[in-house]
Amino acid sequence: MNFSIMLDKDKCKGCTNCMKRCPTQAIRLIDGKAFINSDKCIHCGECIKICPYSAYSPESIEWYEEMHYSSYKYKIAISSTPLYGQFPKGTDICKVQNAIVKLGFDYVYDASWAADMVAKAIKRKIDEEKNIRPFISTNCPAAVRLIKSRYPSLMEHLILLKEPMVVAAMIAREKAKKKYNLKDEEIGVFYISPCPAKLLAVTDPVGDYMPYVDWVIPLNTIYGELYRELLKEDNTICSYPSLNGLKWAVAGGQSESAGLTNYIAVNGMENIIQILDEIENGNLSNVDYVETMACVQGCVGGTFNVINPFIAESNINYIKSHVKDECLNEDLERFDEMYEEGALKFGLKAEETQNKFNMKEAIMNKDKIKEIHDMLPGLDCGSCGAPTCYAHAEDVHNGESTLYDCVVLRANGKI
Amino acid sequence: MTDFFLKRLSFNIVANDFTVAGKSSSAIKNFLKSMGLEASVVRRIAIISYEAEINIVIHSYGGKLHCDLYEDKITIISEDTGPGIANIDLALTEGYSTAPESVRELGFGAGMGLPNMKNYSDDFEIKSSSEGTFIKISVFV
Repeated sequence: MNFSIMLDKDKCKGCTNCMKRCPTQAIRLIDGKAFINSDKCIHCGECIKICPYSAYSPESIEWYEEMHYSSYKYKIAISSTPLYGQFPKGTDICKVQNAIVKLGFDYVYDASWAADMVAKAIKRKIDEEKNIRPFISTNCPAAVRLIKSRYPSLMEHLILLKEPMVVAAMIAREKAKKKYNLKDEEIGVFYISPCPAKLLAVTDPVGDYMPYVDWVIPLNTIYGELYRELLKEDNTICSYPSLNGLKWAVAGGQSESAGLTNYIAVNGMENIIQILDEIENGNLSNVDYVETMACVQGCVGGTFNVINPFIAESNINYIKSHVKDECLNEDLERFDEMYEEGALKFGLKAEETQNKFNMKEAIMNKDKIKEIHDMLPGLDCGSCGAPTCYAHAEDVHNGESTLYDCVVLRANGKI
Repeated sequence: MTDFFLKRLSFNIVANDFTVAGKSSSAIKNFLKSMGLEASVVRRIAIISYEAEINIVIHSYGGKLHCDLYEDKITIISEDTGPGIANIDLALTEGYSTAPESVRELGFGAGMGLPNMKNYSDDFEIKSSSEGTFIKISVFV
């Protein structure tokens, strides 16, 4: 499975909006068009959201072909928690699940069931392991990757519990294998995703585990089909989502569903960065859990959602207060057993060790970059193709750009 | 090995200005991070320099924070003018605080400043008189 955020060069006007928005400075303009450095990209989707010309899109996944013409004998869909917020208030939840099945799946496993289980795991780990504070959530893959790239020393704060998508896939796959006597490769697991970061979590997890998911379908690409199916009348099956697990769609929901009382729920990239800085400075050790969600309002704010995050949140809240809590999730009974055998936890993948640090060399590089930076105007205008003058200076130092790319220096005749 | 630093970053710290408190230690942290220094070393320096900066803001009349880079270590020097520390041993006790209530309300002054600085250091030196305080802390690279 291959995924990256795609850019339609014909639509891109080189306006610098995405480049300036990117939290890891992964974007440069090359020949007037945006270019994403995939090594730095954390798949948060900020560029997709900010682009005024809709030039970005997820690489198209041939989900239709995969579902209908692939060799899978059994196809499982995992619905994400924000999905139910994407339909008008009062929409029958059973109908949503039915609509998914009718798209060509054999079974829908609701991510809220798995979220409920992970919530229990969060509570238990926080109660049992008091040596790390605060624990940082590992649900949002974009936030985890932000930590990995910009706050590596905070990796030891990660709670290292599998996200509901993975737990759902793991359980659903296991059950299908037993029930129908199938092999792993005969089962296709499709996650209906609100965000591009989940794609990265599947293709390149930070943990040392199998992602169990085969395909990630951007929610917006199947929304139309789903909606059309919803309008039809013929309900057959239904198993209710867990209302407790459904809380995960909205920021703060993880902590709430886990019954935590001392937590911080932070959402939006800029806000996360501020909180991570605090933790790095040694603060917030009096807090149990920090729930970091890259998108505003949490997963309901995901890039692939169709409905405005605040409206979606209202829809989810409506479901929580109007739908009877009839979820009979037998898997939840296996929680203790699964937690104790370590099925919900994960360890980090071993990283390649870096080159030995050389202080003299590092200082020399910094001094050279500063020398270049001092020549630049400091306007951070982005016209050179780098998000800030400092980033431009680094690029020049690395031989990836030249001072001549600075329009201000050129206009002032300094070059 | 000669004991001259290869580079020094210096910052003026203004007393009682909580709007910029933490900016200098942030600058130190980001500088070290961008140099490619090992994450755990950066973390320790981040905590030490942040505590040092906040201490100057809360307890002194103002001072300076230096970050000195050596081939094999990073040293944070905090020097301030102020009333000094009456009892250094007591100040190094976890939870002991002389910060006024107005400062505690801002979430500072929990009595973990000096103990934390010492815990995260490889080498810790402190001198204090009624004129001010000098602290020198090193972390080996």
